[in-house]
Amino acid sequence: MSPNSLPETVTVTIDGTPGEAWAGQSVTAVLVAAGIWPLRRNPVNGQLRGPFCGMGVCLECEVTINGRPGSRSCTAHVAEGMDIRTHTEPLPTAAHG
Amino acid sequence: MAESEADVAVIGGGPAGLHAALVLARGGLSVVLLDESDTLGGQYYKRRTDQLTAAFGDFRPRGTELIHRVRAAGVVVRTGTLVWGAEDAGRTLFTSDVRTGALGRITTRATLAATGAYERSLPFPGWTLPGVVTPGFALHLATMDRVPVGQRVVLAGTGPFLLPVACALLEVGARIEALVELNHPYRPSTSAIGGALRQPARLAEAARYLLTLARHGVGVEQGARVLAAHGDTQVTAVDIGQEDGGVRQLETDALCVGFGFRPSTELPRLLGCDTRADPTGTEQLPVVDADGATSVDGLYVAGDCAGIAGVHAAGVRGQLAAHAILRRLAPERAPVRLSGLRRRARALDRFAELADRLYPLPTTADIPDATQVCRCEGVSAGEIREAAATGWNDLHGTKAATRAGMGPCQGRECGHIVAALTGRNESWAECFAARMPIRPLPMAATVEGQDVP
Repeated sequence: MSPNSLPETVTVTIDGTPGEAWAGQSVTAVLVAAGIWPLRRNPVNGQLRGPFCGMGVCLECEVTINGRPGSRSCTAHVAEGMDIRTHTEPLPTAAHG
Repeated sequence: MAESEADVAVIGGGPAGLHAALVLARGGLSVVLLDESDTLGGQYYKRRTDQLTAAFGDFRPRGTELIHRVRAAGVVVRTGTLVWGAEDAGRTLFTSDVRTGALGRITTRATLAATGAYERSLPFPGWTLPGVVTPGFALHLATMDRVPVGQRVVLAGTGPFLLPVACALLEVGARIEALVELNHPYRPSTSAIGGALRQPARLAEAARYLLTLARHGVGVEQGARVLAAHGDTQVTAVDIGQEDGGVRQLETDALCVGFGFRPSTELPRLLGCDTRADPTGTEQLPVVDADGATSVDGLYVAGDCAGIAGVHAAGVRGQLAAHAILRRLAPERAPVRLSGLRRRARALDRFAELADRLYPLPTTADIPDATQVCRCEGVSAGEIREAAATGWNDLHGTKAATRAGMGPCQGRECGHIVAALTGRNESWAECFAARMPIRPLPMAATVEGQDVP
């Protein structure tokens, strides 16, 4: 089947910055398309991590979606007004000690 | 807790589960079909969301049609429902609603596990860098979301799956910097060709992919492998070890590495069914008869979780298991002639064995000590080897000593590697024990009556 038209777009906010995505895309797809690869820090060693398996198994793609932490971005789909927060800030020192 | 009953529960809405549910419902049994995703189809018959289907068309029309038939046959479909535990030979299943965390209990007369497979990853230095992904992730992005995983992509590992992934990437405009296959499957020996010729449709499929790649000027480099990925905040370069011992470095935006698939066997193992080592010697498979019956009375398995054999074998095995369940629960119904299905199952199994021979796995012996094996807990190969070498640590002792396999993914990514690094007995594949909850669920969901945010 050939494309009928481009999909409708929705506005989502990534770490406070608004941008456009196709309605129905996965949240990881929107992040990757925006060039945002690191999504969080590993809580044990502080290394940056990004989506890996894409099927809900590795849990490396967890972000906060609409205030709900620990959301798997690979199995979530964008909707109008969605607020997406990554967690790539440095870990607090206490986490290492 | 929500309680419900059904004659049969089918766990997993991929090709095996869909075909089985259809046969069972048409046979007059009440069937509940459970899947953790928000749509049916599994990984192969995965479907675009309605919005993207409207714009780009249906990615897997045959899957869509099969799903329509399953619903029309009266199967109770419960997507967004994960099965996190079971008891009583699978006749009691514990579920959780993926969105709300709400708990449920389903009572059945027989259960079919059609839980599919994971991609097999093998660790190498840099594999935890953002931008290093499984081929399945790249395929999902390209086909479901129409997003290339990078403008420049390196694909590596082993197995026929790398070919359709490369083609899907080309279709969404990515450039393939290299397609690196560990083995030499595309100049197979005459005996291998003999086996493949009995599955001309599969052979033609592979030929189509290779032709598409050739048309785009992409060659498959055989006998080569990724040695390391480099980058600061994400992958920017990849070292490729060539057959002649040379190493070349490529700049890239994304690296997709996969070594085939591993069966997802937690549920049958949790219920204590007999297991055997799979052909790779790294996994435990449920022991089944020709119809997918396990050693646990009333528990059946079908599809890739009974042994990796692909979509067509999954459909056939799902139907055979469903007929066996029908004979058990509704024996008064006229027997169905199954010789054609059985013949097809055997032929597809032989083809899967051929694939195992063409794409053998590399040894884990040369994984450098500094390489992280357990991504979640950040445990290196050296730490695992050291724990195993203390003289008293087996796989489970190594897990306790190092925390390898104890993170959020619960060893789904690293379990087979930790087992290989600690293995004493090459004839028996150990693996981490399956324990409840076999899928992650919110802690609050386990506390009766507590709201989950």
